[in-house]
Amino acid sequence: MLRTIIAGLKARTARLVLSSVAIALGVAFVTGTLVLGDAMTASLRDEFAKGARNVDVSVTVSGESSSPDEIPGITPETLAKIRQAPGVAAADPRDFQTVPLVAANGKAKSAWAVPLASNEKLNEFDLVDGRYPTKDDEIAVDKRTASTSKLTIGQPVVLLGEGDQRHTYTLVGTYQQGTNQVSLSGYDHVGLTAAAFQALEPERPPYQVVATAAAGFTQQQVVDNVRKAIGDSGFKIQSGEELTRETLERVEQQSGEFTTVLLAFAIIALVVAAMVIYNTFTILVAQRTRELALMRCVGASRAQVFRGVLAEALVMGLAASVIGLFGGIGVSALLQRVIFSFGEGGGTVLLPVTATTVAASFAVGTLVTVLAAVLPARKATRVAPVAALRSQPDSGEEVSRTSVVRVLTAVLFGVIGVGGIVFGMGIEDEDAAMFVSGAGTMALLAAVLVLGPLLVGPVNRVLGALPRAVLGVPAKLASANAGRNPKRTAATTAALMIGVTIVSLVTVVANSAKETANAEIDQRMPADYTVTSAVYGRPLPKELAEQLADVPEVDRVAPTTVVYGEREYFTGVPRDAIGTLFRPTVTSGSLDDLGDGTVAVNAQYAKRQGVAVGQVVTVKPGQGQAQELKVVAIVEGQRLSDGIMTMETSSRFPQAAEGYESILVKLKDGVANGRAAVEKVTDPSPLAVVDSAAETKEQLNQQLNQVLGFIWALIGLAVVIALFGIANTLTLSVLERTRESALLRALGLTKGQLRLMLVVESVLMALMGAAIGLLLGIGFGWVITEALSNDTISVDLVVPFGQIGVMLAGAVVAAILAAALPARRAARTSVVAGMAEA
Amino acid sequence: MSALVSDVGTRTAVAAANLVKVYGKGDTAVRALDGVSVEFAAGRFTAIMGPSGSGKSTLMHCLAGLDNVDGGSVNIGGTEITSLGDKELTRLRRDRVGFVFQAFNLLPTLTAEANILLGLELAGRKPDREWFDTIVDVLGLRDRLKHKPTELSGGQQQRVACARALVARPDVVFADEPTGNLDSRSGAEVLDFLRMSVRKLGQTVIMVTHDPVAASYADRVVLMADGHLAGEIDNPTADSVLSALKHLGA
Repeated sequence: MLRTIIAGLKARTARLVLSSVAIALGVAFVTGTLVLGDAMTASLRDEFAKGARNVDVSVTVSGESSSPDEIPGITPETLAKIRQAPGVAAADPRDFQTVPLVAANGKAKSAWAVPLASNEKLNEFDLVDGRYPTKDDEIAVDKRTASTSKLTIGQPVVLLGEGDQRHTYTLVGTYQQGTNQVSLSGYDHVGLTAAAFQALEPERPPYQVVATAAAGFTQQQVVDNVRKAIGDSGFKIQSGEELTRETLERVEQQSGEFTTVLLAFAIIALVVAAMVIYNTFTILVAQRTRELALMRCVGASRAQVFRGVLAEALVMGLAASVIGLFGGIGVSALLQRVIFSFGEGGGTVLLPVTATTVAASFAVGTLVTVLAAVLPARKATRVAPVAALRSQPDSGEEVSRTSVVRVLTAVLFGVIGVGGIVFGMGIEDEDAAMFVSGAGTMALLAAVLVLGPLLVGPVNRVLGALPRAVLGVPAKLASANAGRNPKRTAATTAALMIGVTIVSLVTVVANSAKETANAEIDQRMPADYTVTSAVYGRPLPKELAEQLADVPEVDRVAPTTVVYGEREYFTGVPRDAIGTLFRPTVTSGSLDDLGDGTVAVNAQYAKRQGVAVGQVVTVKPGQGQAQELKVVAIVEGQRLSDGIMTMETSSRFPQAAEGYESILVKLKDGVANGRAAVEKVTDPSPLAVVDSAAETKEQLNQQLNQVLGFIWALIGLAVVIALFGIANTLTLSVLERTRESALLRALGLTKGQLRLMLVVESVLMALMGAAIGLLLGIGFGWVITEALSNDTISVDLVVPFGQIGVMLAGAVVAAILAAALPARRAARTSVVAGMAEA
Repeated sequence: MSALVSDVGTRTAVAAANLVKVYGKGDTAVRALDGVSVEFAAGRFTAIMGPSGSGKSTLMHCLAGLDNVDGGSVNIGGTEITSLGDKELTRLRRDRVGFVFQAFNLLPTLTAEANILLGLELAGRKPDREWFDTIVDVLGLRDRLKHKPTELSGGQQQRVACARALVARPDVVFADEPTGNLDSRSGAEVLDFLRMSVRKLGQTVIMVTHDPVAASYADRVVLMADGHLAGEIDNPTADSVLSALKHLGA
């Protein structure tokens, strides 16, 4: 038997390789994902290992501070006590804050600032160039910051401290911080001496102090001594080992989440690959009916036939796993390069291949293949020995009858799906609604998959109408061929259908979200330009609004402030801007009543808090006194703030009194080059950034398109696998129909027509998958947008016809490519040889 | 010659009693076999003949246990096979029955040698090398053993099929139009071999054919028409078979 299997594999190598490509791609995806996850864990581990190196004791602020005005932290007195504790060789504060860094063009960017350890052992970075700062007017920056902000050693570097005070430092060195969230975020990173760091925001004490032990002390002894010195309350005192363990746990959790997302895509790819494999084996078995029957005649038992087919699948799965494993390592290297290219400085490509990864790829590759082959193998055992004596393999028996089980299964999935969707749409919480409705759509997808063979006939008749009318006999034959074995056609197109469904679903939802966001921007930015602060939490100076108002090209300006309560935030706008630059839709009450001490709240906020016009809301800011504000109106708008109040009212809150959140600028009609005029005023201010609605939209759209592109690429893999499936089915069908093709040729079909016939068949199958997939995807997209919509946010369905057209065109082109080889093969066979083949 | 085989013509190798086989249902039902009873002696070469649709192939399928029957019984070497399950039938085919078909006798993926030994390998039996060599030499396949079926002529392919049928020393070899796809010279070679395997090696061969010349190689011809036995001829010649067939057709 073994010999037969090996000989069979050898003889069918080309065919099996084609099918194993599908599995190999799926495995490559899984492997790539796992390797990437491990690589991220490893590099984060490296990073955190740096953070924890030489740390024997870590003191972190834990509990609540005693008074609300005091920011919790480690006071200089506590630091001194730690330093004096027996066994502490050195102790340094660890902290970070975002600080605006003024780049070469005079504009501020957010940067992470950290205090560098005074003790070299406690430093968490690796020096690249120069040296670390020793004086308070010196600074070091991370390698990438130096290159993006074009900073060289010896140059001055400007940071904006509290109150936009400019602090100038001399750059003395660059360091490498490795791959972590900060470096991936694209933020700049600068290091200062502890004193210089403290000077940026004097009243904020550090949240952590790390210490290294003197020779002769164990970690535990030093921990105990530190605990004795500063007491237990309000601090979490950990040994270096505990700190390492804790951070590593966090690291793994984080990279685990990322891996999970990618794995979801890998699973889609594998499901599609499994369908292709299933199909391949089904066809292989159907095609080898006579061979199997001959084996049965010669004395092969059912079990031997079953094992034979499975063994073939096993070998194929193993081979595909090996290819996939190496492919996946390549994929991971590629993905890391892509990730590094987002930031500049780059990083080291890590390719950790763990035993788990290898085991997983082999398990997935072989298991999926073998499982996909089980049904076909069972079918193979049912081949009657007498089939060896028939001149033509009996392909009629495979034509499906509507089995009760099939319909019942489809109905079951359908009911679950519709139930999930209806239930999900009723849920107020967006995430939960999307999840439940999303699961519902997947159940519906399953229902359609189960019903596939029944759908093939009608869909084929509809889609085939045009080619039948235009292309004549070959197209008629092609359409008949596509419909002759509904089960096979359904299985072939199902893979593509899944891919297209998910792609179009994501595309529709993303585009709908984009349109909604754009509408929101229009609403939020009624002005021509909006001036905002480049740095979060740094308001714009008030003079800026006056300066802007004085510009001759400017019609009017409206500054806004922001007031943060405990669970809400409100926008403060000048009274006279309401109705001009601010035009919220009023659902009850009147904005005319909006005056000092009153507020107009957003409908969603009103619902959440259960307030109505005439009632009072209490806003308790982070700093300062709680204020009671009377609700005079309820307004509606896409995700505006929770409400608006007048500038005067907002100035009751200290944080809003500091400066402006944004300044809306409306130009006079017909002004050309308004932007230059506005920028003349804003340029000297490092914080001020000028945005127009159009630009903001473009930025947002770019980001969404990037995400969409990423998802297209991921699902694209599944689509590629699916197209391999079509090529596969066609190749096998061509082999199966050698005799038929020869007969057609004998009857006068030209080679070109024969090729055309196969191309049309391929295109029909691809379109079947794509058309059903698109319908489902758009329908599901509608479901998801409806689920996302609630009282205050309505996501409108937007069908991106352009992108869908691209998808359809892609499917057609790919189908033509998929048909190329099989068509060549069919046309090459000579008529006589084809007829002779029994 | 007969020293090798002592029970020529005395023992029954295959017997059928009242065989009924119906294809289809209701109005379209066809009684392909309508109560056929026939015996085949061991060590004899029997040809089953008849016009198209006479039921000769169906008879062979039922005799060989390839097809199930709707009535009657089949006995091979003392074993009643109509009641056997798939497992027992498989074992029967492995150990006690050999097949030679009109076409598609060989697995295209295996060499001639592997094809010959396939049945034994499936059964997990060691081939009797001496016997194997005898058959290969008699059939003149020695220098073709390493070739794939596609590299063999039609006649060679049929000879490989004969070798495979014989290598397990079955109780009976069923041959279904073994010369149907061959030119007359190759066909004669194959028939010569089948006859020789009966006379010299003591095999039992049952052959279905519609060619009177092929039938003339047999010791006995069983004639069929419309699902019934329609007579038999001992020690046939091409002419006697032809005239019997003409009689049937009339």
